Amino acid sequence: MNSEKILQYIKQHSNADDWSLFISYWDSHETRFAQNGITQHITGPKLDITLNVSYGSKSGSCTVNQANDESLEFLLKTAQDIARIAPEDPEFMPSAEAAELPKVNNCDEETKNLDPKQMVEIVQKAIDKAKAFDSTVSGMTEKHYHNSWMFTKNGFAGHSERTGFGHSMTLKKAEVETKVDYEAKCFAGFDLDKDFAQLQSQAIALADLHVFEPQKIAVIMRPSALMELMWFMGWMMNRRQSDEGFTPFTGQLGKPFFGEKFSWFSTLQQPQLVARPYDYEGNVSREIAWVENGILKNMPTNRYWAKKVNGTPGSSYNIYIPGGNSTEEEMMQMVPRGLILNRLWYIRTVDAKSGELTGMTRDGVLYFENGKVQHAVNNLRFNEIPHDATRRILALGASKLASASSMLPTMLIDNFNFVDKTSF
Amino acid sequence: MKYLDLAMNAASSLGAEYADIRIQKTTDQVIYLQNLSLKHTNTEVLHGYGIRVFKDGAWGFAHNNVFSDEAVLATVQKAFEIAQLSASVNKNKKLRLAPERSYIATVKTPVKIDPFEVPLNEKIDLMMEVNRTIMAYEGIRQAVFYLVQHKDEKLFGSTLGTRLDLSSLFIDPMIIATAVHEGDSQSRTFDEGGRAIGWEWVLELDLIDKAKQIAEEALIKVKADTLGPEQRRSLILDPNHLGLTMHESVGHPTELDRVLGWEADYAGISFATPEKLKNYRYGSEIINFVGDNTLPQGLATHGFDDDGVPGQKWHIIKDGILNEYGSTRDTAMEIGLGYSRGCNRATYYFDQPINRIPNLYLLPGTKPLTPGELIADTEDGVYIQGRGSFSIDQHRVNFQFGGDFFWEIKNGKLHRPLKKVLYKSCNPEFWNSCDAICDERFWRPFGVVNCGKGQPSQSARMTHGSAPARFRNIRVGGSQ
Repeated sequence: MNSEKILQYIKQHSNADDWSLFISYWDSHETRFAQNGITQHITGPKLDITLNVSYGSKSGSCTVNQANDESLEFLLKTAQDIARIAPEDPEFMPSAEAAELPKVNNCDEETKNLDPKQMVEIVQKAIDKAKAFDSTVSGMTEKHYHNSWMFTKNGFAGHSERTGFGHSMTLKKAEVETKVDYEAKCFAGFDLDKDFAQLQSQAIALADLHVFEPQKIAVIMRPSALMELMWFMGWMMNRRQSDEGFTPFTGQLGKPFFGEKFSWFSTLQQPQLVARPYDYEGNVSREIAWVENGILKNMPTNRYWAKKVNGTPGSSYNIYIPGGNSTEEEMMQMVPRGLILNRLWYIRTVDAKSGELTGMTRDGVLYFENGKVQHAVNNLRFNEIPHDATRRILALGASKLASASSMLPTMLIDNFNFVDKTSF
Repeated sequence: MKYLDLAMNAASSLGAEYADIRIQKTTDQVIYLQNLSLKHTNTEVLHGYGIRVFKDGAWGFAHNNVFSDEAVLATVQKAFEIAQLSASVNKNKKLRLAPERSYIATVKTPVKIDPFEVPLNEKIDLMMEVNRTIMAYEGIRQAVFYLVQHKDEKLFGSTLGTRLDLSSLFIDPMIIATAVHEGDSQSRTFDEGGRAIGWEWVLELDLIDKAKQIAEEALIKVKADTLGPEQRRSLILDPNHLGLTMHESVGHPTELDRVLGWEADYAGISFATPEKLKNYRYGSEIINFVGDNTLPQGLATHGFDDDGVPGQKWHIIKDGILNEYGSTRDTAMEIGLGYSRGCNRATYYFDQPINRIPNLYLLPGTKPLTPGELIADTEDGVYIQGRGSFSIDQHRVNFQFGGDFFWEIKNGKLHRPLKKVLYKSCNPEFWNSCDAICDERFWRPFGVVNCGKGQPSQSARMTHGSAPARFRNIRVGGSQ
C-alpha cells in the first residue's frame, strides 16, 4: 500500500478548491471459537481511501477500497461531481492546516508479527483448560495492524500506526456463565494462565445463585462494567448537542455537575493507553480534562461549533478515569450490603435530555453483606442516569486497563437503580 | 466469472471438502442533512472477494481486494491453510454441512426507478425542502434527513457447481424533528426502516406531508405529560414499533447459532433451546411467526444466502408453539436438521457469513379487526408508534422497550399524548399476552438495516412486519 502514490495522484489531478484525503489500511487475523471448537477463522487486508473535496463551501466525498489508477480516478471524479452539485453549506469549514503532532507509540512489532499458528495455539490452550475444568469456552483471539494517513490541501499531514491484540473467553459450567477479556496494543501483557485462573475463580464464585429482587442498592462496579457506562455517557457529552438544548449537559459547562470524586481525561501520558495523534478533522490530540473533580470542563466539539462558540475543538481519543486506593474488600466494609458487577450489557438511551440509560448486568453478579461476598444473584436491569450516579460515588479503586483505549477504576456507587430482574 | 472457476478449481486441487467464493461489490450512497447543512454526502464502493474453505470439519476464510489470478490463488491458499489450522483444534468437534444441490441463477431486486440513477441534485432538493418544512415550525430546534441507498452485486461460486449472479438493493429515508420546550427536548422520527425497492417508493411516500406530521408530533410530544408510576396495562403496538420488539425477542432467540452457543462470548445465547421445539408455548394461539426470505421488497430477499441456499418460507412459531429455527448449512447439522433454511449472510466481501434473522413477520389476525375497533375495545392502555429505546438480556428473556410516540387510551378512546413511556416484559409472558391482532388490511412491513452481531461485528438487514396488535397486562410506566 503506497500512500504517497495516492497522495500524488490527488495532488496532480484535483481541481477542487480544497480537499482532505484519508487512507486506512488494516491487516487482521481473527479466530473465533465457541463451545470448545473453532467456528470462524478470518484473515486478510482491508483498505479504505476517502476523499473529501470542496468548491467554495460546496462539499462532496467518496470512498473506495482499491488504489489502482482507475479507482483513484473514480474516487476523485465522484467526490468532485458531488461537490459541484451540492448546495452551499452554511457550516462549511476549510480543511486543517499543517500542525505539529504529538509523538505517540501505539505500535508493537511482536503483536504485528503474530502468526496464525501462535493464535490457534492460544485457542487450543484455552479449550484444553476449559475441558479440564469440565466446562466450555467461547471467545475470539484477534490481532490487528492499522496504518492510517490524513493529508489536506492546506498542508496537514498526519500518520498513525497501531497494533492490537485481543483474547476473550466466556466460560460456561453448568448454569454459570462468566467472561474475562484482554484487549491491548501489545501482546506482551497477555497471560492466558492468569486470565483463565480469573475466569475459574469467577465461575466458582457464581455457582451458588440466589433470586434477588430489583431495588436501589450500592454497587461495586468493576472496570469492564464501568467502561460500558462511560462510553454511553461520553457519547451524550457533545458540546453542540448540549448548547442546543438536547442533552443533560445544557448550561453546565464550568459547573460542578458531577460528583466531586469523579474526573475524566483523554491523555497522551498513560503509556498503556492507545492515543491517536489527531482526529478526523485534523484536531491535534492534547491533554484534555473533560471532567475534573466533578466540574464539567470540556465537551467534544467540532471545528465549526468551536469557532461559533469561541471554544477549542477536540474529541475524546481515550478514556482515563483516575482511581483511588480502595480495594474491593474495603469497599464491602463501607456499606451494609451491595452487589459486585462484572460487566454491563445492551445499554441504550432511554431519554437523551435527562441522560437516562437502561441496560442489564452480565457475566456474574455477587451479593455482599457484612463485608463479605455471600452468594451470586440473578442478572438485573438498571435504569440510571450516569452523571447523577457519579454524585453517589463512595470510593474508588486503582485504575486498570479495561480495553486498549480505556483505563478506569473499580467504583463503589450508592443507590444504583435496578428496576427489573431476569430469569438467570 | 473466470475467478469463480479459478478459485474453486484451486480449492478442490488443494483438497478442500467444500469451498466457495463470493465476489462482492457494495455501493453505498449516504446523504446526511441537518438544519440545511449537508454534513455528509458520500458514495462508497467496496469491491473484493471472500473465499471460504471447509476442510476436516472446520472453516478458513480469507479475503482480498486485489483482482488478479495470483491474488485469487494466494487467497485460496490462505483460506485453506487456516482451515487446516482450525481443523487441528476441531479434531473432536468437527462441523458438518447440510446437503445442498447446485444452482445456476441470476436474481435481481425488481425496481422501477434505480435510486443510483436518480440525479443527486433531485435528492438533495427534496431533502432540503423536507428540512425547511420542519424548520418552519416554531419550537423545532433540529431537522435531520438521513438517506441511505445501498446496493450489493455478488458473484458466487462453490465447489458444488453453484454459480450465482445476485444483485440486491435497498433505500432507507429517515427524517427526524427535534423540539425543545421548557427545559425538555423530544424527537419524532419518520422511519420505515428501509425497503428493497426503487426510488418510486420515495416518490410515493409524500415526505413533505410526513415532515409536517413529525414536526407537529414532536411539538405535541415535548409538551405531553408523562405516564407516572409503572402499572399493569394494555398495550396496542403499531407495526413500526412491533417490528423491533419481534426482532429482539423472537428473531434473535430463534437464530440457530445463538441456540447452539456460538454467540456466547458476545451477542449472547438463547432461551429457546432445541428440546423446546414443537412443544414450547412461545405465544398465545394467535401468534404465528413466519421466516420468509422470498418476501417481495424484503431486505433479506436476495434469492440465495451466502451458503448458496435458496430463499425459503417457513413457520418459526406456529399457533404459539416454537416450530423451527433460522439456520445455516453448518448450524443445521448440529441439531440433525439435515437441511438449511438459508440464513447465512455476510455484510461485506471481507466478512465470513453468519447465521442471521430472516425476513420475519407476525401473520395478521384471521378475523376482521381495524385499529379503531381495537382501540375502542381497550379500556385502559397505551398505544405506541415508532421505535425508541430497546434493551434485552443476553438469553433474550427480559426486555424493556420505549417508543417514539405514545397515546394513553381511556375507555376506548385516545385520551392524551404522552412522552417517556417504557414497558417491561419477558419471554414467554409477552407473546402469550397477545389477545388481538388486526387483520391483513393493516399489515405493514418494517425494515431493520443495522442489525449488529458477530465478532468481528457485522451489520445485517431484514424485514419484519405485523398488523397492530394488543398485549394485555404488561408493566407500563414512565421513565425517571
